[in-house]
This record gives sequence, C-alpha cells and structure tokens, in this order.
Amino acid sequence: MSNEHGHHAKHLPADLSAPASVARWRNRALLVALVFALLAAADFYLHPSDLSLDYVLRGWLMGLIVCFSFAVGGMALLMVQHVSGGKWGLLIRRPLEAMSRTLPLVFLMFLPVAICVKRLYLWARISNPEEALHAGIINAIQAHAIAYKRPFLNIEGFWIRGIAYFAIWGTFIFILNRWSRQRDTDTQHGNWYWQKRFENLSGAGLLIYSITLTGASIDWVMSLDPTWYSSVYGLLFLVAQGYAALAMVILITLALSQDEPLKSIFRTTEQHDLGKLCFAFVMLNIYIAFSQYLIIWSGNLPEEIRWYMDRITGGWGYVIGLDFAFHWLLPFTLLLSRDIKRNKRRLAAVCCIMLFARFLDTFWLIAPNFADIHHNFHFSAELLQYIFVPAAMTGLWVAYMTHQLRQRPVVAINDPHLSEILEPEHAHA
Amino acid sequence: MPMREGIYGLIAEFDTPTELVQAAKAAYASGYRRMDCYTPYPLEEAAEAIGFDEPTEKGVARICLLGGLIGGCAMFSLESWVSIWAYPLNIAGRPLFSWPAFIVPAYEWTILFAGLSAAYGMLALNRLPAPYHPVFNAPNFRDGATTDKFFLCLEAADPKFSVSESRAFLESFRPVSVVEVDH
Repeated sequence: MSNEHGHHAKHLPADLSAPASVARWRNRALLVALVFALLAAADFYLHPSDLSLDYVLRGWLMGLIVCFSFAVGGMALLMVQHVSGGKWGLLIRRPLEAMSRTLPLVFLMFLPVAICVKRLYLWARISNPEEALHAGIINAIQAHAIAYKRPFLNIEGFWIRGIAYFAIWGTFIFILNRWSRQRDTDTQHGNWYWQKRFENLSGAGLLIYSITLTGASIDWVMSLDPTWYSSVYGLLFLVAQGYAALAMVILITLALSQDEPLKSIFRTTEQHDLGKLCFAFVMLNIYIAFSQYLIIWSGNLPEEIRWYMDRITGGWGYVIGLDFAFHWLLPFTLLLSRDIKRNKRRLAAVCCIMLFARFLDTFWLIAPNFADIHHNFHFSAELLQYIFVPAAMTGLWVAYMTHQLRQRPVVAINDPHLSEILEPEHAHA
Repeated sequence: MPMREGIYGLIAEFDTPTELVQAAKAAYASGYRRMDCYTPYPLEEAAEAIGFDEPTEKGVARICLLGGLIGGCAMFSLESWVSIWAYPLNIAGRPLFSWPAFIVPAYEWTILFAGLSAAYGMLALNRLPAPYHPVFNAPNFRDGATTDKFFLCLEAADPKFSVSESRAFLESFRPVSVVEVDH
C-alpha cells in the first residue's frame, strides 16, 4: 500500500475519554425527567379518581419495560458482537457496556412493580378464584386460568424469579465490564486470549439470556392477562429488545461522533453496517409479530383470539395502525435507501422513529390488559400517565447511562479490529 | 459490421488501488463521464469515484424496487382473484378476502422478484454477457486486469476526450503506462 499521496492510516486520538458534551446530555436528560415527573404528579393530584394510582403503576410498568430493554438488550447486543466479531461492533462496545451497567437502576424500578404486584396483576389480586367467580369479579375462563396457573403465577414465585433474573444478568454484566477494563491495560496476554474469553462467556450468556428473558416477559407483561398464552412471546420480546437497544446505541454513538475521540475514527463504513443491522431487526420484528398474528388469526380459537380482539377493536385499531407504521412501514422504507443509512442526521432520525415505536408498542402490549380500557380506547386524564411516567423514567435512565459512559474511555483498545477501523475507508486492499 | 473510426479510448495502468481511485476522482472532477475502472477484485471506492452514487446511476436500485413491487402486487392480486372470483370457498366462515393469509406468498414473491430483477437488471445495465469488449485489445490489460493491476479507461466517446490532452491528463498521475485501445 503506497502512502505517497498522503493516505496514511489515522492515529488513535491521545485522549479517549468521553467528550464534555456527554455531561450536557446528562443535564438535559435530568431536566426532562424532572419536568415529566412534575407533570405526572400534577396529573395524579389534579384528577383524583379510583384509578389514579393504578394508572401511575401501569405507566411505571411501561417505563420499566422500556428501560429494561435498553439495559438488558444492551447486554445482549454486547454479547452478540463479542461472539460474532467484526469491525462494526468495536465502536459501539463502550456505549453498550454503559447501557448494561444501568441494571441497578432498572432493578430499583422493578421494586415498585414487585411491591404493588396485587394492584397490577389480576392473578395476584385474586387469592381465591372460586369466590371471585361467584362474586362476579372474574369470569369462568379467568377463574380456571388463575387456579390452573397458580403453581407458576404466585407472588412468592414472582419475587424469587424476578430477583434471580436480575442476579443472573447482573453477574454477566459485572464480568463483561470487568474483563473489558482489564483488557484495555493488559500487556501480558494477546488479543486472542481475550477474544476467546469473551466469546466463551458470551456464547453461554446468550443462551441463558434468551431463557431468562422469556421468563421475565411472561412474568412481567404476558401474565397481565392470565388467560392468554403464546409460545413465540419470549422471542418476540427478545427481538423487540434488540431493536430498542440497537436504535439507542446507534443514537449514542452518532451523538458521540460529533466530538473527539470518535469524530476522527467513526467511519461511514461502520455506520452503514449498523444501518443494515437496524434493517435486519426491523424485518425480523415484523416477521415474528406477524407470524404470531397469522397463527392466532388462522386458528381463531376463543381462548387466543380474544387477546387480539382486546387490542384491535374499540379504538385500539388506531393504536396498532400507528404502531405498524412506526415499527415497520417507516423504518423499513427509509432504511431501504443506502444514502439514509450513510447520513448521520437521517440515520439518527430513523433511530428516533424506532425508539418511538418501542414506546408505542409497549403501550399497546400493556394497556389493553385492563378491564377499564380494553375494547374501549378512550382518552382520560389518567391515560396521560402512560406518557409522563415512562418519559420521566427514561430521562432518569439516560442520565444514569451518560454517567456510566463517562466512567471509561469511549473506545475499547487492545482489540485486533482497532487497526482496521483506523485505516482510510478506501484501503480494503 | 462497418469499421469504426478512431480508437475506443486510452487506458492507464496503476499498481495500487489508491492511485487508481485518485486518478478516477480527478477525471470525474474535471468533467469526464464516459470512463470505467477495471480492478482484479470489487473496489467500492472506484465505483464511487466515477459517479456511481449520482442519482442517474441508480438503475439497479430502481429496477430492484420496481421488481419487488410488481412481484408483491402480482401475487396479492392473484390470491385475491382466486379467493374472491375464481373459486369463492367458505373456509371456516372467514371472509373471502382474508388478506392476512395472502401476505406470506405475496412477501415471498416480493423477495423473489426483487432478487431476480436486481441480478438480471445488473447484467442488462452492464450489457453483459459481452462476448467482445475492446479493452482486451490492450496487451497489458489482458495480463494484469485479473491479477494485480488497476486500470482506468477514458473512452473516446466522451465529448471531453482528445487523444493528446487526455493522454497528458492521465500521465500526470504517473501511471505505469498509458495505452491506446483499438475498437
């Protein structure tokens, strides 16, 4: 490779710490969190009703699911890029690690849900299904499902499994982050030693992640309706989590690339690759979501179809229509274009659409489970809690994530891909 | 076939991809359009250098999109026609126009038609298969183009082309050689 025309490989900037702008994002995120928390409090006190607290908790559950998908989805993507290797994963590694280290905050967000489990979950509220059936609180199908699923759906089990999930994810996140810091300064062992270590941990980790995530999605969201079940639910949740975490990490990386050190080393090639990965997630998500719909629609069985009827009829059609547009139609058509994937501002806009879609979809999954609103989507002051509470929680999450991002250099060194991304873009020879 | 006047173009030989891309970019910037790069392996930057990214050059993308749309619409229409008019059967009491069931084959046809039209569209726009191409008349091209040499050919059909000026232009990039290519 001739360098006589000045096409030298770039040098790694001397200072790899997070740029000063990250502190500004933290302040902005905290401000957003504060504003929405005040709005939520105002909504709670100004429109008191029987359901005020319920709606705050439902909004809280939605916020938990969104922040949880950023933190644990970040861990899963981190494992995927350790297992697959490739240049595309190097510059998103530190942002993914920062996202994964927010797990303690997500655990704190989980506690109110676990404490108020009786207010949120029908199966927890009904201690005696027989009596509740006679009293007319629940119908026969619900009574049967709650009694039959009692060995799994009970409050002790909910707590034990929840804590076990967090302990398992926390262990993987702790080891991955610890090794990553050791690797940066390690001079004794070669690259391959670390690569193999990360690969072995992540391979097992991804398997355990998919099992624990399936359990968590059933416990926290699917069991809101104790009568319904779908075997693809865990996978649908897993793909949605990857979708959300990928959109979030691309936004973080694009924002970081406005300043040094990423400004000079984040190349269009890797950005293009990340855009293509987004496209793959957009396709996979609609593929699985539509499979579930098609199978249940074809079967047309009364115990399954009702879940969709609750979510399509009575005004919910508009919500699922918007969900479809933002989840698939818009990102799919936009990401078809090569130019959009290679343009920073446009790719960031697509990622914002994808994140908005995740909020909308989580709302669509959670809200129609409750008897006061299923089949009958209507506006009420309480409904705004589905915006205020998750927005406040996400603001807090972003602030904590930026705090974690500042703890370490934003580029992982001591990696064989580092020299590859420092090459000029047209030197594939 | 009547004999064509003049030459097909001038071909410059380079040792490295970087030199080729630089020369190609400069040629594009100074107004040449009828030109092509020849490399032993795919070199994305060479395509970009000669204006592959320009809107007028996105033929394959358009053909692929059009093919996909035609495939999807064709299959969806076929299924609708079969189910509503040709063989209206009552299946488990569902409406005749049961669109969710039509999506999967329509999707498969979208992929199939998009893939085939991208492949054949690419071949057609490249005028392939081509049993004869003038650049093979350059002896150094025959030896190097598939092994380790990088070529830039400015074609005589370009309005800016002139044998003496274009040769001087190419030689300013210090290529290994600049050869006239016969038709």
